[in-house]
Amino acid sequence: MLSGVSIVCFAGSYTVAFVLEVTRLLFRSGIRGAAMLGFAGAGLFAHTVFLYHRAVHAAASPLSSERDWYLVAAWLLVGVYLYLTYYHPKTAFGLFVLPLVLGLIGVAAFLADPEPFARGPASRVWGVIHGVSILLAVVAMLVGFAAGLMYLRQSWRLKRKLASHGGLRLPSLEWLQRTNSRALVVSMLMLGLGVLSGIVLNLIRRDDRVPWSDPVVLSTLVMLGWLVVTVGISIFYRPARAGRKVAYLTLMSFVFLVIALGMGLLLDTRHGGQSLPANHKTLSSNTSVNPPTAHCPLPTAHYPLPRAGGLA
Amino acid sequence: MKVQVVGCSHHSASIAVRERLAFSPEQTRAALEALRQAFPKVEAVLVSTCNRVELYTATENAAGGPSHRQAAEFLARFHGLESAEIFEYLYQRAGHEAVEHLFAVAASLDSMVVGEPQILAQVKQAYQLATQNESTGPLTHAAFQAAVKVARRVAAETSIHQRRVSVPSVAVADFARQIFERFDDKNTLVIGAGEMAEETLEYLRDEGVHEVTVANRSADRAAELARRWHGRAVPWENLSDALVAADLVIGTTGAEEPVVTLDQFEAVEAARFERPLFVLDLAVPRDFDPAIGDRPGVYLYSIDDLREVCEKNRRRRDKELPAARRIIEQETERFMADMHHRVTGPIIRQLKEGWEKPKEEELWRLWNKLPELDDRARSEIRQSFDRLVNKLLHPPLESLRDESRHGIPHALLDALAKLFQLKD
Repeated sequence: MLSGVSIVCFAGSYTVAFVLEVTRLLFRSGIRGAAMLGFAGAGLFAHTVFLYHRAVHAAASPLSSERDWYLVAAWLLVGVYLYLTYYHPKTAFGLFVLPLVLGLIGVAAFLADPEPFARGPASRVWGVIHGVSILLAVVAMLVGFAAGLMYLRQSWRLKRKLASHGGLRLPSLEWLQRTNSRALVVSMLMLGLGVLSGIVLNLIRRDDRVPWSDPVVLSTLVMLGWLVVTVGISIFYRPARAGRKVAYLTLMSFVFLVIALGMGLLLDTRHGGQSLPANHKTLSSNTSVNPPTAHCPLPTAHYPLPRAGGLA
Repeated sequence: MKVQVVGCSHHSASIAVRERLAFSPEQTRAALEALRQAFPKVEAVLVSTCNRVELYTATENAAGGPSHRQAAEFLARFHGLESAEIFEYLYQRAGHEAVEHLFAVAASLDSMVVGEPQILAQVKQAYQLATQNESTGPLTHAAFQAAVKVARRVAAETSIHQRRVSVPSVAVADFARQIFERFDDKNTLVIGAGEMAEETLEYLRDEGVHEVTVANRSADRAAELARRWHGRAVPWENLSDALVAADLVIGTTGAEEPVVTLDQFEAVEAARFERPLFVLDLAVPRDFDPAIGDRPGVYLYSIDDLREVCEKNRRRRDKELPAARRIIEQETERFMADMHHRVTGPIIRQLKEGWEKPKEEELWRLWNKLPELDDRARSEIRQSFDRLVNKLLHPPLESLRDESRHGIPHALLDALAKLFQLKD
């Protein structure tokens, strides 16, 4: 029965949770918190079931398509949202996090390639490391982006000496700044690991290597460079660790992320085994693509989780 | 059933009167014990805070508890006073009004600063103390537990508790707490020794501040304030260094000119590395150049800024008061209906038992006459009898429930007792 769960089911639940978050700005309610958690929780359950079925019934490595990659990123972000909302029910995290979740699901549904990639056993371990680390880097960047937006909104209110709006309660600047800084460091470390594992993957392939000039590879390297510089500045230039500067740095990181993801989605790239014309890729959600036999899972592609039974 | 409250509050009595009537926890225990000796069947809770002293009593039968005059005399006598001395300051409410009053007190609608959160904890403490002292019973349990629920409902469905209306409370709750996550690792610098600084420090101490630095032109006054707050005094000449180390600053000097100009602050700023700084300028004229508020990481609030927020909060809170009052009314109606319906419990039980017996007798006769009935048939017949009894009982029980909404339905209870020959 649960195999009938579709993207619409959990996207709908998250949308209702988001609408309930928006109503914080309009009126107070004693049951809204429970309803929000209920809808988001139900959505997460459906989301989990959906991903489980995708993983179990995948012809190739489980959850290894571009679409799955976006859906897993959204799934992790919903987990972060539920955790924060459960422990801080009066804080409007959802207003900033749920749009990102819905955006990821939207990209998964309309832009991302649903076809899985076949891969050889030798590259599977590196593929897992590569895919998971890039995924965590992206989730950390999205969390940092949401925290950055909240910081700027909160700082704007406090500078203008406005009393807090009952419905739009946000965390303290200190909490947001700490979250921002940690998100930057985590995303840099994860992205660094992802890039390193991607390089190894590319080197162990015998044929059909992804060129180092591939737009996805280049944009990812630029993004990593930006994060390294950002974290370096934070370490050696103390004012960059405090206040709005950290928020601006995380917002800028998000811009790089969008560029990198956009390149993977819209440009002709061989990264991830893709080599289709751009106009074809934008319609790829219902298109069956036969990928090259070897794979190259750099950033925006997919992460190949091992099937039960081992990584060999 | 009789629920009653006798007491005084900031509405009816000055602090001098309230002080004379106040009860310490030990006195409360002794008073409840004494009351129980005088009225063995009474349930009682004594609420004593700096703004109110109230004795709540409840009895199943009106005759078992003290009248309001007896309750007033009890309060006076306990403190060695003549009841005439305090009678004019006391109020009394009974039944519906007493319950409504308790709900309003717990929800902080009757407080001096409407919406202040401490009163609910004080009501809960009073109830716990009475329970430990075995002075409570089913009526007070129901009333005080309902009061706590009502207070939570008011807090959840209105923003009354979030609308602070004093300058220090707004400064801390609406601004400082939005900047800092924790205060136990923050340094608070007090410049000057104004009265409002101490009030603000009290709020900050509640949040966890314990590192206080005082700078004053008068070293003695600085030392005195630092001693009271377990902080340290710094020489006036070291103000810049103190500003570098500070996370929160409270300015309360009586200086004619700004104590910290923009130029002075820019010298400090470099050493602070743009660490967030909360500045509460309570001085008139102001101690801080307003341009400092535009510097990155600085959140500067003057007394006028905060008064404006206080006034807005007051207006918003006043707008929410009717909604809070409606909740109190609804919950009081519901509580009273439940209480009245409780009184009808014995009659309902007797009615049900009275019909159960003939039903069982008839079934027994039937089983004897029709021994060939199998278990399934017997079960069906029993269910039919049960349905019949329930349908017959439904109209009188429904009437009892309806009448209970308006008070104890004595006439209906009498009629049912006579009609069905029920014992009292």
